[in-house]
Amino acid sequence: MIDRPPPSRRLQALSVVVASLVGVLLVRLWQVQVLQGAAYFRQSEENRIREYTLAAPRGIIYDRRGRALVANRPAFTVAVLPLELRDPPVVVARLAALLGTPAPQIEARLRAARARPFEPVRIARDVDPAVVARIEENRLDLPGVIILADPVRHYLHGSRAAHLLGYVGEIDSDELAARRTEGYRPGDLIGKAGVEKAYETLLRGVDGRLRMEVDALGRPLRVLSRQPPVPGRAIVLTIDLDVQAAAEDALQATGLDAGAVVVLDPATGEVLALASMPSFDPNLFARGISPDRWQALASDRRRPLLNRAISATYEPGSVFKLVTAVAALERGIVSRRTVFDAPGYFRLGQWTFGDLRAWGRIDFITGIAHSVNVVFYTLGYRLGGEVLAQYAFLLGLGEPTGIDLPGEVAGTVPSPATKQDLVGEPWYPGDAVNMSIGQGAVTVTPVQVARMVAALATGGRLMQPHVLLAVPHPQHSPDRVAPVLQRQVSLRPGTLAVLREGMRAVVDRGSGVAARLPGVAVAGKTGSAENPRGRPHAWFAGYAPADDPQVVVVAFVEHGFRGGIAAAPVARAVLEAALARQEGSP
Amino acid sequence: MSRRLLRYLDWPLLAATVALLAGGTVILYSAVQNSADPWAVVRTRLAHIAVSLLVLGAVLAVDYQTWARLWRPLWAGSVLLLVLVLVAGRSGGGAQRWLAIGPWTGFQPSELAKVTLIITLARHMDGHRDLGSWRAVLPVLVHAAVPMVLIVRQPDLGTALAVGAVLAAMLVAAGTPLRLLAGLGAGAAAAAPLVWRMLHDYQRQRLLAFLDPGADPLGAGYALIQSRIAVGSGQIWGKGLLRGTQNLLHFIPEQHTDFIFTVVGEELGFAGAVVLLGLFSLWLWRGLVIAACAKDRVGTLMAVGAVALTAFHLFVNVGMTVGLMPVTGIPLPFISHGGSALVAFGAATGLVLNVGMRRKKILF
Repeated sequence: MIDRPPPSRRLQALSVVVASLVGVLLVRLWQVQVLQGAAYFRQSEENRIREYTLAAPRGIIYDRRGRALVANRPAFTVAVLPLELRDPPVVVARLAALLGTPAPQIEARLRAARARPFEPVRIARDVDPAVVARIEENRLDLPGVIILADPVRHYLHGSRAAHLLGYVGEIDSDELAARRTEGYRPGDLIGKAGVEKAYETLLRGVDGRLRMEVDALGRPLRVLSRQPPVPGRAIVLTIDLDVQAAAEDALQATGLDAGAVVVLDPATGEVLALASMPSFDPNLFARGISPDRWQALASDRRRPLLNRAISATYEPGSVFKLVTAVAALERGIVSRRTVFDAPGYFRLGQWTFGDLRAWGRIDFITGIAHSVNVVFYTLGYRLGGEVLAQYAFLLGLGEPTGIDLPGEVAGTVPSPATKQDLVGEPWYPGDAVNMSIGQGAVTVTPVQVARMVAALATGGRLMQPHVLLAVPHPQHSPDRVAPVLQRQVSLRPGTLAVLREGMRAVVDRGSGVAARLPGVAVAGKTGSAENPRGRPHAWFAGYAPADDPQVVVVAFVEHGFRGGIAAAPVARAVLEAALARQEGSP
Repeated sequence: MSRRLLRYLDWPLLAATVALLAGGTVILYSAVQNSADPWAVVRTRLAHIAVSLLVLGAVLAVDYQTWARLWRPLWAGSVLLLVLVLVAGRSGGGAQRWLAIGPWTGFQPSELAKVTLIITLARHMDGHRDLGSWRAVLPVLVHAAVPMVLIVRQPDLGTALAVGAVLAAMLVAAGTPLRLLAGLGAGAAAAAPLVWRMLHDYQRQRLLAFLDPGADPLGAGYALIQSRIAVGSGQIWGKGLLRGTQNLLHFIPEQHTDFIFTVVGEELGFAGAVVLLGLFSLWLWRGLVIAACAKDRVGTLMAVGAVALTAFHLFVNVGMTVGLMPVTGIPLPFISHGGSALVAFGAATGLVLNVGMRRKKILF
C-alpha cells in the first residue's frame, strides 16, 4: 500500500469536477431565475390565465313596422385551442365521433388556423346541448376542446326576404386582410350578403373578454375579470313583412322556377319589398354550413343564392316601350292623338319586324295599352338608337341604382357609339327598331325598372332606392335615413300625362287587365321579353293609385311567357297588400 | 458500535442528509397538496424515510471491509434481481422496473444495484494493484457492463448512465492511467450511435426535444418548456411555499417525482435553490473528504462511488428542469418521491459514513 501512488491528485481532480457541476447548476439557475425570471414569470401567468372571447350578439333587424326579422338565439360552439391539444389525432378522432363531423374536416379547420395557435378554432356552431353535455363529461379525454357560448343568428321567417337580409359566415382571408384594422380575427362571423353585409359595421357589436384561471387541462377554476360584450346596433328596414310575404307568395303561385319583385315608395325610394325566387334558408349559414350543403346551393342550376332583383340582368321587352314613348313625346314626334297604321308588321329595307297581330288604324294610347309593336318600331326608327339610349340613361337604365345592398349590377344600354364595345357587334340600322321594343342587346335589372317607373309616377324624380329606414338610438329618437333625390329628369307635363293615360289604359283595357284592382286606378306596362334561353320573360311594371302614386311595383317572372298572364297577377297581389297597408297605417 | 466509532461519525454529512430528507418532505407535500389525499403521500414518504434510515444504519453497522469481502454474492444477487425484473417485473410508465414484494409494495432492483455496484467495483478495482493495462481494466468493465446492459433493457437509460458515471469516477480515483481513460472515453463516444439505435422511440424523442424543445411544444418538449417556466418564474425569492401556479395547476408532469425540483425553484426561488444546492454541496464535500482520509483504497473508492452517484443524480435531475440536460427518469436524491431511490441513497450515505467512521487518522 506504500508503493501505490497517492490518490490525492486524482481526488482533487474529481473534487474540481463535482464543484464545477454544482457551479454550472448555480450559474444556470441564476440565469433562468434571476436574469430571465421576469419573462418566465410572465409566461407562467399566461399559462394560468386564459382569455375567452365573449361573442357580441349582432344587432336585431326589424321591418318598418317593428317586427323582428333577424334576431339571435343562445347556442353552444365547440372549439379547439391548438396549443392545448395534446395528441391531436386521438383527440380529433374522439371529437369527430362525438360531433358526427368527419375527422379530415376538423383537421382542415385546424390546419387553416395554424398561424394563430392561441385563438380558439371553432369546429362546430350551434351544437346540440346533448352533445355538449357529452363533451363536458369527457373533458379529461379531450384536452384542448372547449365550449363557447356564441349566439347564433336566427332568421325568424326562414327563407322570407333571404336575398335582402343576406347571411353571415366566417370571415375569409380576403375579408380579414381588408378589415384588419377593424379588429376582426379569424373565426369571426361577418355579413356575407344582403343587409347583413351592407350594414356589417352597425350590426356587429364589440366582443367582450373573459379572463379565467385554468389548470393544465384547461379546466376553469375562477373568473379573474369580465368585460361584457356590447351588442350590435339594431336597425329598422323599409321592408314591410306583409308586402314581402305577398310578393313571395305571389311569385310562388306562378308555379314557375324563378322571378323577382321590387316594391318601392315612389316619393322616397324606400323599398317596401324585395323578393327573389327561388330562395334559401339563411339559418343554414348561421350554423356554419357544411361543405356539401354549400356545394349543393352553389351548384344548383336554379341559382337560389342569386338576388334576381338587383344582381341579374334581363331583356326588358315591352317595358322598355316606356322609354321609347318618353323620348318620342319629349321630341314631339308623337302626341296622344297621333294615329298609326298597324298592319301587323314593319318593313325596313330587306328586314321585316313582326307584331302579334294586325291592329288596323289605332291611336297612340291604344298603342301603349295593347303594346303594339309597330307603333314603337315606327317611333324608334324615327328617333334613332342614339336618342333612345340617351333617354334610357336619363331614366336610370344602364347604371346601378345605388341601392344599399351589395352585388348590384348595371345592365346594358347599347347605342350606335358603344354597341361594338358592349356586345362586340356593330350597330345595324334595324337595331333602333329592335331596341324600341326592348329587344336586342338591352338588359336591365328589376330594381332599375322600379326606379324608372317611380320617376315617371312622380314627375321625373329619380329617387335612390334604399332598404335602411332608421337606426334606433338608446338615448334619443332614431336616426332616420333621409331620401336621396338622385336626379330630377325634366319632362314636360304633357309627356307625363300621356304616359299616365296610356299606362292606365294598359290595366283598364289593354295587355295588363290581370293587374286590375277594384276601386283603385292602377297604371302599368307589361312586357314579354324574347330571350335566347327559352320562353319569353314576363314583366309588369306599374304603380297605384294612378292619380296619387303611393306604391310602385315591378314583377318579373323568368320564362313567364306573357307579362299580362304571369307577371300582372303577381303585381296585383302585391299592390293589394301594399295598399291595404297604406289604408291601415295612419 | 463503540464510542470511538461514534466519535468519528461524520455529523455534518448526516445532518445534511437529514435536512434534505426533511425539506424534501415539505416540498413533496406542496407538490401533492391538491391531490386527493396529500397526507397519505406524506405518510408513505415518512415510511420510506424510516426504511431508508434503517438501511443506512444497517450499512453503517457492518464494517465496509466486510461488505467488500461479500462482493461476489452481492454482485451475483444484484444481477439475478435485474434478470428477474426483466422476466417477472411489473411495468410502469412504459418500462419494466419493478419487482413486487407482496401485493402492495415493490422495489426497483436497479436502484439497489447502483449501491451494490459501488461496493463490488471498489473491491474489484482494489484487487488489482494497478489498473495500468487493458488486461486489468477489461474485467472491471465487464463487471459493470453486465448490470448496465440489463438496466438499459428495462429500459432505464438514466440509471444505466448513472452507473457509467460511477464507474468512470471510480476508475479515475483508482489511478487508471490517463491513456486508458482516454481510450475508454473514445470508445464510449464511438458506441454512442450504436446506443442511439438501441434506444426506444420515446427516448430518442426526449433527446431530440432537448436539442429543440420548440419543435414540438405540446409533445416531447412540453415537460422541458413547462419545467423551465416553473423554475424561472420563481425568480429570486419564489412564489411562496404551496403557492406555485405551475405546480398547483399541474403544468408539470411527474412533479412529485422526477420534476420535484421545479417546485423548489418555483415556490422558493433562487434563494431556496441555493440552500438546496448548499446542502448537497455539504454532503458531496464531506464525501470527498472521507474519500481522501479513508484508511484504505477500498474505502476511498467506495466514498468516491457514492459521491459520483449523488453528484450525477443531482446534476442530471436539476439540469433537466432548467434545460441543461435531456429528460431522463432520474430522481433527485433524498427529495423525489420514491422508496427505492430513497433507500438506495440511504445505503449510499451509510456507506460513506461507514468509511469515514472506520478511518485511522483523525480528520481535519
